[in-house]
Amino acid sequence: MDLSNDDIFKIVKIIEASGYDEVRLEVGDFKIHVRKHADGDAAVMPSGIAERRPLPSAPPPSPPPQEPPARSAAEEAPPDGAVVVRSPMLGTFYRAPSPGEKPFVEVGAKVVSDDTLCLVEVMKLFNSIKAGVSGTVVKILAENAAMVEHGQPLMYIRPD
Amino acid sequence: MAEKAGIRRIFVANRGEIAVRVIQACRKLGVEAVVGVSDADRESLAARIADRAVCIGPAPAAQSYLKMETIVVAAKGTGCDAVHPGYGFLAERAGFQRLCAEHGLTFVGPAASAIEAMGDKLQARRMAAELGIPTVPGTDHVESAQRALEFGRQAGYPFLLKASAGGGGRGMRVVRTAEEVPVAFNAASAEARAAFGDPTLYIERFIERARHVEVQVMADTLGNVIHLGERDCSTQRRHQKLIEEAPSPVLDERLRARIADAAVRLLRHAGYVSAGTVEFILDADTREFYFLEVNTRIQVEHPVTEMVTGADIVAEQIRIAEGAPLSLAQSDISIRGHAIECRINAELPEQDFMPSPGRLAEWRAPAGEGIRVDTHCYPGYFVPPFYDSMIAKLIVHGADRTSAISKLSRALAGFTVGGVQTTIPFHQAVLAHPDFAQSRVTTRWVEETFMKQGFARERAT
Repeated sequence: MDLSNDDIFKIVKIIEASGYDEVRLEVGDFKIHVRKHADGDAAVMPSGIAERRPLPSAPPPSPPPQEPPARSAAEEAPPDGAVVVRSPMLGTFYRAPSPGEKPFVEVGAKVVSDDTLCLVEVMKLFNSIKAGVSGTVVKILAENAAMVEHGQPLMYIRPD
Repeated sequence: MAEKAGIRRIFVANRGEIAVRVIQACRKLGVEAVVGVSDADRESLAARIADRAVCIGPAPAAQSYLKMETIVVAAKGTGCDAVHPGYGFLAERAGFQRLCAEHGLTFVGPAASAIEAMGDKLQARRMAAELGIPTVPGTDHVESAQRALEFGRQAGYPFLLKASAGGGGRGMRVVRTAEEVPVAFNAASAEARAAFGDPTLYIERFIERARHVEVQVMADTLGNVIHLGERDCSTQRRHQKLIEEAPSPVLDERLRARIADAAVRLLRHAGYVSAGTVEFILDADTREFYFLEVNTRIQVEHPVTEMVTGADIVAEQIRIAEGAPLSLAQSDISIRGHAIECRINAELPEQDFMPSPGRLAEWRAPAGEGIRVDTHCYPGYFVPPFYDSMIAKLIVHGADRTSAISKLSRALAGFTVGGVQTTIPFHQAVLAHPDFAQSRVTTRWVEETFMKQGFARERAT
């Protein structure tokens, strides 16, 4: 089955308009998996990630001490006023919607909060990473098609 | 099957002391180790000593250590050719073994089919029975409370309702009277469905005074199966082991040989590969032993076996995964002296073993001849509240049980931990108790005897 990017775009649009949160479509060798509210929604995590607390299986005896997630000391500081866009998961970082296409953004690009900056793929599940703020892309730190860790800085954006 | 995989780099899919233990085994074998850590474990000892650490997700295990796809992507992305699952988390998920295999990663452990066959307690029990290995008298699948009542009428009370897919005491109920049957049946069934997705129950006679004896087995891909003797893990609380020792102080040579033989026969018949443990219940009154279940992973308490045999079980697991033959034959295995392990947990025994996470303001572990400490802790380490509370395993080796107990007592006295509460005083009190010294402890002794005697008072002396 041959599908153009346009066809896929149409499928995604249809699903987006539907009442479903997640759709898996398989026709022969062709598989598409679309999820509306993937973890990738929380794309922008400026210092101190809002930790989703685990649901305790039993009432916790006392509030557990909170520790900020430690970041590697070697991590370079973002330029003044810039926001760090971190990867919300471990996976493969892609700058473009598909190989051979133009990257979503380049350094200097103006973005608004809802713009997709890149994709992080885990086992064929592609998560769109949104800008989260309006501003200018000042640096792209991750390398295309390389593995990125959970919480790894991907880009810096200077907000408007 | 026996093709040499030649493992060069292992992904350690676990945390805590076992991650450290696996990395040490990798070092010894000249294999590189990459560890996947959650946000909460970025500063862990495993992350510090591994060749590389990658962050696989946020602190909650469901979003990090239990994410099979993420771990496989992390292992492939860091150039690993094998995955060691440790214990807990994904260690006994057949689906994880399969996913690793599909992506060309060698799983350091048994095949998915063996994990499945042994994970189904009823299936494992049937296999044992076919081989003439004693199983606790009971039933196959019980469909209804009515059938459970019939069993009670014929065989008497009390009995145990157990989940076929179960483990760790979940989906298990002690039924003491006919009146308790309907409620217990529904509760156990619902718990089994919720915890394991399978409500199937079966019945076992309840053994009032039981000792827990388990046999460490190693099997390679060439069909060699050996045992490394047994461990006695009777000091438990709510099915959680607290103190383990090797050899068992209550077996005579004849019984010891019979139990080991049963374990080897079962895993040989199952075509099992890697390290595995066959657990038995020993009736302290009748001295009959019964097959309980098989654990298809490295176990927390493996060091006591290493101390008395000199074997390195984790390194052996890795060699087996490469397709190499066992480095030891059964005739090479002899049990030397006696080893005991205490699990040191960050918990408050006086307050129903409430977890006590926090920063280790002080941390001085004992050291010396015949003393081994397996831990991921260091001074200033923050014990996170997200995972199990074990912070160290203290293992000692002595010429005999009496000298091992006294060495362990001295080592516990020299173990200084500040900033969190620990089970060290609990262990000291157990070791000082005459029931422990005389091996009269059964699996319900901690709850029904020891804690009721006022452990807090003993602690003050």
